[in-house]
Amino acid sequence: MDLLLDAVIFGLLLGCFYAAVSVGLTVAFGLLDVPHIAHPAFLVLGAYCTWLLNGYGLDPIVAGIVLMPAFMALGMAVYRFYYETFERRGSDAGLRGLAFFFGVVFIIEVGLILLFGVDQRLVEAAYIGKSLDIGDTRLPLRMLVAFAMALILTAGLALYLSKTFTGRAIKAVAQDETALRLMGANPVRIKQWAFGIATAVTGLAGALLIIIGPVEPTIDRVYIGRTFCVVVLAGLGSMSGTLLAGIILGISESIVLTMLGASWAPAVSFGLLLVMLGIRPQGLFGR
Amino acid sequence: MATELALELIIENVDAGYGAVRALQGVSLRVANGETAALLGTNGNGKSTLMKCVMGMVRPTRGTIRLDIDGVTHDLSRLSTEEIVNIGVAMVPEGRRLFPRLTVEENLLLGAYRPLARADIAKNIGFCYEAFPLLLERRRQLAGSMSGGQQQMLAIARALMSAPRLLLVDEPSVGLAPILVSQTISKIRELKDRYGLTVLMAEQNFHQAIRIADRGYIIVHGEIVFDGSVGELEQNDLVKNYYLGATA
Repeated sequence: MDLLLDAVIFGLLLGCFYAAVSVGLTVAFGLLDVPHIAHPAFLVLGAYCTWLLNGYGLDPIVAGIVLMPAFMALGMAVYRFYYETFERRGSDAGLRGLAFFFGVVFIIEVGLILLFGVDQRLVEAAYIGKSLDIGDTRLPLRMLVAFAMALILTAGLALYLSKTFTGRAIKAVAQDETALRLMGANPVRIKQWAFGIATAVTGLAGALLIIIGPVEPTIDRVYIGRTFCVVVLAGLGSMSGTLLAGIILGISESIVLTMLGASWAPAVSFGLLLVMLGIRPQGLFGR
Repeated sequence: MATELALELIIENVDAGYGAVRALQGVSLRVANGETAALLGTNGNGKSTLMKCVMGMVRPTRGTIRLDIDGVTHDLSRLSTEEIVNIGVAMVPEGRRLFPRLTVEENLLLGAYRPLARADIAKNIGFCYEAFPLLLERRRQLAGSMSGGQQQMLAIARALMSAPRLLLVDEPSVGLAPILVSQTISKIRELKDRYGLTVLMAEQNFHQAIRIADRGYIIVHGEIVFDGSVGELEQNDLVKNYYLGATA
């Protein structure tokens, strides 16, 4: 019984972390309809940049925040390139877009391997390796830090999307670009900005990824199932849904891990994804 | 110190089309300050194309589209849709084009996107809810889940949120039951008077459109075949025979 309670508590923390690594995709795929399968690769890129900055003694969270403007610029540049070469040219943008982002994944993975090799990388900080003991339950501090950051990130993004003019335009842009133009907003600029924000948030989430555990160049393959599971489970584009879906995935994985063993854990995300698509394709919070 | 507030839309000799298809030929039209002009004609005669030309969504191949606002002249045929919205032109598009998965209130707030409208957003949303009490009641409902008539009201309210000087309304009657058409047209008149708007409305329902219009333009196969005051329009033989269904 204690074992199960521990699994649920750990799953809750893990789940908030999953939400944090998925919010960027909620914006890019959920709101903008961009088939952004390079999202986890950007996450790993963020983790490696954090690792580099940590080598100069910078705290990983601070490093993640410092990275945000650079990732914003990267995201805007990638979207512009995608728009000019693919999206603008036609109706089958979805499929060709997949090819484009698959190429981006390949470039990032190979680039990281060439530059840094295939070894696992870690960061150092005061809160890594310590834990908080509450009764018999042991909560690693690094999980608590990631948990707190995840809540701040999700809440911040949700507020931005609902309370600002640009945020509301981001929510509307994929629904009717012509109508948005009639409101006085340029849809391409809105999408480019939104993709920049999604990438900036992913850069910071990359810092959380390397705080949680060691990172190697191809770890993005584990996260593609998880992030897409969370975004689809949430209902495309819902921020509060993303948080709840992350927690559902975290707790399910954690329980499966405890009861059935580690080899079953990766199946959980794809399993949940399939079940959700089968019974409620619009997701938990789908509109 | 009174400033002269005046507005005039002047369209001269406009040709426009889609590829090889000519949709407009030598169209000239004027909408004076405070006037309601009705662009009349049946489907496929170029009404919507002309509206889109004014909004910068279709580029004329010839001719000029000018908007004079308070002594400043804007060449609309060179501006983007966003820029045209920013100088104070709003359009209620054909088929309404709401954001279906956003709430009523989110749709209205997006209407106030242009910088000049943001300052007065609280006041304007208050006016919209006063003019359309139903929208206040349903402000948390998704726009896509409302009926056609309610959606048309929301589309008009959303356009007004940008505090426009010139309002274009493209086919407000499409897809509405007759009683709703009549209500919608009356509402446009009421709002026009209240906000001191200048209105250009494209409509195929003659009887309804001329109830509120000061001036009418009849467009057939991309050409203006008649223009005059509503009084003249009603007396015209062509109009009587073809559009008002009078029997000789």
